[in-house]
Amino acid sequence: MTLDERAFDQVIEESQDLQSDAIRQARSTVPELEEIREERRDEPVDPEDARAYEHARRELVRDLGLAPGLRRGLLAGGFGAFLAGILAAPAFAEDGDDVDVQILQTASSLEVLAVATYGAALGLPFIKDGNPVVVKFAQTTRMQHDEHRKAFQAQTKALGGKKQTKPNPKYAPVVEQMKPSLQGPMDVVNLAATLEQVATETYLKDLGLFTNKGAKSKQVMASVMGVETQHLATLRAVRALLAGGAADLITLPPDITQLPAAAGSVAFPVAFQGTEMASPPEEGAR
Amino acid sequence: MTNDLHISEPAEEEHHGLSRRRFFAVSGATGAAVVAAAYLTRTPAGASTASVSGTKAAKPSLNKDLDTAAFAASLEVLAVGTYQSALDAATAGKLGSVPPAVATFVQTAKDQHQAHLDALNQLLTTNGRSAVTEPDRGLKGTVDQKFGQVTDAAGAAKLARELEQTAAATYLKAIPSLTPDTAVVAGSILCVDQQHVAVLNYALGEYPVPDTFASTTDAASAS
Repeated sequence: MTLDERAFDQVIEESQDLQSDAIRQARSTVPELEEIREERRDEPVDPEDARAYEHARRELVRDLGLAPGLRRGLLAGGFGAFLAGILAAPAFAEDGDDVDVQILQTASSLEVLAVATYGAALGLPFIKDGNPVVVKFAQTTRMQHDEHRKAFQAQTKALGGKKQTKPNPKYAPVVEQMKPSLQGPMDVVNLAATLEQVATETYLKDLGLFTNKGAKSKQVMASVMGVETQHLATLRAVRALLAGGAADLITLPPDITQLPAAAGSVAFPVAFQGTEMASPPEEGAR
Repeated sequence: MTNDLHISEPAEEEHHGLSRRRFFAVSGATGAAVVAAAYLTRTPAGASTASVSGTKAAKPSLNKDLDTAAFAASLEVLAVGTYQSALDAATAGKLGSVPPAVATFVQTAKDQHQAHLDALNQLLTTNGRSAVTEPDRGLKGTVDQKFGQVTDAAGAAKLARELEQTAAATYLKAIPSLTPDTAVVAGSILCVDQQHVAVLNYALGEYPVPDTFASTTDAASAS
């Protein structure tokens, strides 16, 4: 387990400098969204938007029913059993709320939970005293999720909604229940990968649910989705190396010649990202 | 407008849905692809005028979706061709020693870009457009010139990353202007391209997820 600390920190520093532009771009949408809020004031719900939303919700249910094998595979194991039970629970938000705001509130709830989960993971002795690459990944990913949380909360407010500051009500209890059973890096990586997959697939599904007024929010959400899916890919690769007893190959830079052939494909198992684990808009709405 | 009506007819939707599902079954795609296929069959609901900052934004429409799909398909043709060139060069020993993980990456990424191309062409042909079989001419010239300078696996990985970043940024930039269902398909492909980028970053000795927000800076436009 090695890490070129100086090179790693330099990479992070440079990437964060580069990201300042992207973050500014994301935040620059807020004034535009505030204008949209003014335009939307006293505006009735567009029946076409409502129909599209309801249609998409029905399709989500149908999609879940279409791929039971895949769903079982994704939810394998004890954690999967917890998750499957929770996925069957009814959502609590009332119908008729602003769909765009609900989407952003649920996204915020997932980000709040991600920040808390990575934070908790960093307190576990086998993480904080373990592989330094994993530690750096957890630290950087937590920071990135916190930026995502801020972006979603800012946009919620700009659209006239209340910021969601609480963790996702479906998955927060799952994480709490999982904590005592986190006995090693693999347990943490599995948990983190599940949260990243839920976030990725939720935001992907949401791209089809935003109303006509949500174009800017949609772009920001797609931008965040593009990063969550990279977290997921990285965790898949780490998980495969841990499972293969090759934890010593988790280094930065890697010894590419020593990586098994499967390391070249394990991070992207399908050609199209699915939406089987997507959270509905109302799940984390307030 | 004619195309909008065409795709909105329930009988046509069912027909298209069946044909797409057959396509994905033949290509060996998994449940995620079935989800993408389901989106590709839907009416472009919500494709009405959006207003942003007091000005009328471009109205999402099937024609806009198809224009975007055609350009994206030309990028996929380029990606498939470039990965094939890398495989050919490796087989001919022109890239030196190629680690097994890199060889697997190139083959898998090529196959996935082929699946993206097939899906996009299915969308185009189902709606009366021609399938795209040629890469964007301007971009191909640039890539060919760069590929001519590649002498090892690391060089090929850098070029592949450029291509993947360009594709991902192009999908990201297009998403707000697409109808909802097509936006989901574009997002589905965007995710996989971003995953390719993360692995290439790592293979090149860099942090796999350096960006907090995915950017549209590298987005391509038709030559």
